Amino acid sequence: MASVFSPPGFDFSNQLRNNFMAQKGLPLPKATSTGTTIVGCLFDGGIVLGADTRATEGPIVADKNCEKIHYITESIRCCGAGTAADTEFTTALISSNMELHGLTTGRKPRVVTAMTMLKQMLFRYQGQVGAALVLGGVDSTGPHLFTIAPHGSTDKLPYVTMGSGSLAAMAVFESGWKANMSREAALQLVKDAIAAGIFNDLGSGSNIDACIITASHTEMLRNVEMPNQRVEKERQYGFRRGTTAWKTENVRSLIVNEEITLLGGGDEMDTT
Amino acid sequence: MQHVAVPHAQPQQRQFNPYSENGGTILAIAGANFSVIAGDTRQSEGYSIQTRYAPKVFRLTDKAVLATNGFAADGNMFVKKVRQRLEWYRHAHAKDMPLRAIARLIQTMLYARRFFPYYVYNILGGIEEDGSGAVYSFDPVGSYEREACRAAGAASSLVQPFLDNQIYFKNQTPAPGTTHPAHLPLSHVLSLVIDSFTSATERHIEVGDGLEIYVVLAKGSALQGLDAIQGLSELTTTDDGERMFVIRRNLKRD
Amino acid sequence: MNSLVDRFSTTSAQSEIRRAQALAADDEEFSDAAWGSEAGFGSLAKGVPTFSVPSIADPSAFLRLHTDDHADPNCRIKIQHGTTTLAFRFKGGVIVAVDSRATAGSYIASGTVKKVIEINPYLLGTMAGGAADCQYWETYLGIHCRLHELRNRERISVSAASKYLSNLVYGYKGMGLSMGTMICGWDKTRCRVPAVFYVDSDGTRLKGDLFSVGSGSTHAYVSTAAGHRDAFSGNTCNLYHIKEDGWHFIGNYDISKMHYDGPGDVPGGPGKGYGYDIRVEGRSSANPPPVAT
Repeated sequence: MASVFSPPGFDFSNQLRNNFMAQKGLPLPKATSTGTTIVGCLFDGGIVLGADTRATEGPIVADKNCEKIHYITESIRCCGAGTAADTEFTTALISSNMELHGLTTGRKPRVVTAMTMLKQMLFRYQGQVGAALVLGGVDSTGPHLFTIAPHGSTDKLPYVTMGSGSLAAMAVFESGWKANMSREAALQLVKDAIAAGIFNDLGSGSNIDACIITASHTEMLRNVEMPNQRVEKERQYGFRRGTTAWKTENVRSLIVNEEITLLGGGDEMDTT
Repeated sequence: MQHVAVPHAQPQQRQFNPYSENGGTILAIAGANFSVIAGDTRQSEGYSIQTRYAPKVFRLTDKAVLATNGFAADGNMFVKKVRQRLEWYRHAHAKDMPLRAIARLIQTMLYARRFFPYYVYNILGGIEEDGSGAVYSFDPVGSYEREACRAAGAASSLVQPFLDNQIYFKNQTPAPGTTHPAHLPLSHVLSLVIDSFTSATERHIEVGDGLEIYVVLAKGSALQGLDAIQGLSELTTTDDGERMFVIRRNLKRD
Repeated sequence: MNSLVDRFSTTSAQSEIRRAQALAADDEEFSDAAWGSEAGFGSLAKGVPTFSVPSIADPSAFLRLHTDDHADPNCRIKIQHGTTTLAFRFKGGVIVAVDSRATAGSYIASGTVKKVIEINPYLLGTMAGGAADCQYWETYLGIHCRLHELRNRERISVSAASKYLSNLVYGYKGMGLSMGTMICGWDKTRCRVPAVFYVDSDGTRLKGDLFSVGSGSTHAYVSTAAGHRDAFSGNTCNLYHIKEDGWHFIGNYDISKMHYDGPGDVPGGPGKGYGYDIRVEGRSSANPPPVAT
């Protein structure tokens, strides 16, 4: 049936047309971009990841409480910044592959494995997949923390930040991070770093999500802090019934009257 | 010293770009005998906040208030020049310029820069000589119009439809046997202004930090419940003229 | 002696003025007139308008880069534009009809614009293209029509007024003005006939019986950004009639009301609306076609 060869993966067949249309002054629809603050921090025996919860479309807030810490495996999580759909689908794909990898090898897959899969995928698409990631987790070799840039380059550092609020957050890390911090101190530092992004970067806002990963346990702290509660309105904006004008009114009965006539007998199901 | 080979075959294009965009939103509503002019106080460029308190609403005379939005440097300079011209007028005529004359002055001042525009959206609010509340809105090169309400700036496309619905009652059919009011009372207008800004702060990243609402009351009109508003301070200078107030509120800072 | 003191003292009122004038002169923006009774008139303080121009090689390219021309609706400074205007001459004078929508980029900036500019009690100008260009130059034209009256003790003819405007904007040709206007009136002194002239920023000036300026021409800025502001609301039609004794405002008609309810009892009219019901008549089961008899 299908006579046209279609390679697996992304379909680029409209790229030429879209470039042409963009040149003619018809820009492509904008993807939701999470102008974001995401951070990760190493502490004594584990990793703390953090993220804000604002998703934007240009200057408009698209989602006030989205989740940016994505699941990879039970003890590996990944924060995403950049194009929302790309971070979501990239992490979901790698999560699937990590699960399969774990089943194939019969071992708990390592953080470097996820990192390598992610960087190879992002490099293959030459930055077209707009995902900037902070990957953190604990495996048999200990806690690891990486950043992965959209073109596929990676870093391994004890404290990292990404997204539009990365400078604000890094300022907090640079002044407050110490080696071998306690779990509580690391969580507080991550919360402070995200808060710096929320209040000083327009692309970041709303609440703080955090995730603490140790060898034995992963704790997802969704909305661990909510410093930007909605202000109550001065007025109520209900509308009186009949506010919307109409031209004609047409009331139809949706009840179907059905008359059943049994023909012959003995067709009833024997339920004895 | 190093010598670097500079390729000079390629043409190079340089652009003169003296403009920037500093976010924020302004809004004005005219009532029967009052005028409300408001603006947030955040000034931003790109994703960073330059300051959390940069006023965008300025008192010009005892009965005129000008709100500016767009490029802050142009806006501040423009207000400075308008104030200068108003002072000269005061010296020449020993009275304040009437509101409709200020509106025309602003048109000619903006149009003088037709070929090098001020990147500023202006809204002028105040009290006319007949004691009615008025709002004039301008485009960057000086076309203007007297209106009952107007929002401009970053979140104008969010706020203006809300005002169309709540002030002009667009898409609202009145209850049978009733009509929509031509003018809303002051307390109602103030709550609409506050709600406009809290909502714009929720959904627009460039709006927030602080809110300044100027209220101008016509000569001899009552306070209309204004004294019950929190964060109010009076700016009136004369005993027998128009009264001017400012309300300062906090907005979300994220 | 006093004058000598005044001239060289640094504190007297006169020297204050002198210093300020020197400052203003540096600016080249204000004349002495700005201090006196003409203080209200902005760039017209010297009698003729003066404009600031950026000191770069190609100022009109600069303007094109930063303001929204029809070629590039995406740049930053959104200037308001007008859309549809029409005027025609008939036995009983001139009818002028305009809509009331102004757009800035794709955004409907206003639905209540006065696109008929009342130059004086017997001259009307319409607005299409740049709103500020039309408002400013037609107001300026009004000043000169009045000066003409004072100098010549008779009203300016429509022809002369339109030529004055045409010559004015022709002086700025290629600088980026955008204006398409109809100057309408009734000549009282010479021909004693109604007249309509089309004037635009290219310098075109045409005498005619009927003009429509807006969609289709270089000044077309038709826009329906329904997502921003309701495309049907707030848009009205302003109607003027120019008779021998000057113009009369006939009324302001709600276009959406006409859309649904029709123009009313007009000879030859459909008698009902032009709207949705008529267009979908017989196209769905909810609105079935009339049963054949």
